[in-house]
Parts: sequence; C-alpha cells; structure tokens
Amino acid sequence: MQRVKPTSSKTGELIAYSEAAIRNNISAVEYCRTSMAAISGCAAGILGLNGLLGFLFYFLSVFVLWLLVLMKSGTHWRKFFINRQSLLTNSFMGALCTYVLFWTFLYGMVHVY
Amino acid sequence: MANTIVNKILLVAGFASLLHAAYSAAHYRTYLRLTEQEFTKLPLDIVVQTVVSLIVVIYNVIQIVGNFKEIRATVDMQGKSWDTLGNFPSFYTFNHRGKALSSTYVPEEESSESGKSKMDLIS
Repeated sequence: MQRVKPTSSKTGELIAYSEAAIRNNISAVEYCRTSMAAISGCAAGILGLNGLLGFLFYFLSVFVLWLLVLMKSGTHWRKFFINRQSLLTNSFMGALCTYVLFWTFLYGMVHVY
Repeated sequence: MANTIVNKILLVAGFASLLHAAYSAAHYRTYLRLTEQEFTKLPLDIVVQTVVSLIVVIYNVIQIVGNFKEIRATVDMQGKSWDTLGNFPSFYTFNHRGKALSSTYVPEEESSESGKSKMDLIS
C-alpha cells in the first residue's frame, strides 16, 4: 500500500498527500536542477565569466529554472508541490558545486588553453 | 510521444550548438593570441548562441523529465475500486473446507497421520 501523509491546511481541513507522488515530483525537479547546474556551468565557462559575475549567472539560472518549472506545472502548482519556496532553495549548495565544477572546467578548456 | 521525440532532438541540437559555441570561443581566443590583441569580450554572436542554446537545453530537459504527479492522495485513489485497494495477497486462502461443496470432490479415505490431520482441519 502507498503511504499517505496527512497535513492540515490553513482552514484546518485535513489533506492527505501521497508520499510516492511527492517523492516522484521532487526527484524530477532534482534531475532538472542537476542538469541545469551542469549546463549553465558550461555556458558560464564558455562566456568567460569570472569572479562575482559567474555566481550572479548561477543565481539567474536557478531563478530561470524555477520559473520554467512553475510554468510547466501551470497555474495549479499547489496540485504538485506543497510549497514553492523549497522548490527554489532546495539543494542550492549541492547544485552550486556542480556548477563551479563545470564552470572552471569549460573556462579552462576554452579560455586558458 | 511525438512531443518527447521532438524535445530529444532539440536537446541534442542544443548540446551541439553549445559545443559549437565553445569551439568558436576557443577559436576566437587563438585568433586574438596570434594577432596579439587584448581580450576584452567575446563577439556578440557567440554570446547569443551560448545563451539561446542554454535556454533551449534547460527547457527541453524539463519537458523530457515527464509530467508531475498529483500529490493529493485522494486523486490517486479515486480511480481505483475496492477490489484493487483491498487486495492483500498475504491473506489468500486456497485450502479450505469449501472444496467439499464441489461436485468433483472425492473425500480421502486415509488412515495415515497426515491424512487424519488434514481431515481434522476440514471438518
């Protein structure tokens, strides 16, 4: 049987969430986030950004990814995610490590050698 | 289904475009080094190509990952009948006394220990 997580909403009414569906959505977003970090790291390396500008580019791409995910889920994001803020901030640092890895790699390949 | 194929093709094209932009940028750096000019910024077409292919790749990755599932548990359960939900395979019983009602049932006449205990269970 699938597990069910009851949570009370603002009105005090109980809503049961399906844990398998939540985990499925979160892992899908996680996949997108890792890909986004790698690819935007590549782009930052190609563009030759350095210093603070590269980190600003990372913030920008995280924000763009957030907007794209919300756009995909449509107007009813509440149907798929419990809150939007965790969608934006989840595993921010882990993706940053991936980003820096690809950024430095591509920067070295294109601009240094 | 056709949509995902289009997305995959676009994803591959975006990656190829990104690689091409990287190659162009490297080429430009080599050109600057050979002509002994100072590097200030990349030409605009490489920048545009990189940014556009980045956006294309991210968009297609999100499309490929599949649709999100509805997280409310009731939505998932509404489509199922009680026969599906109340199905517990661990509680299946096949050997019970109801088989005596069958027209092809032949009562066993045995005096062995195992047969006796089986008859005890049946009666």
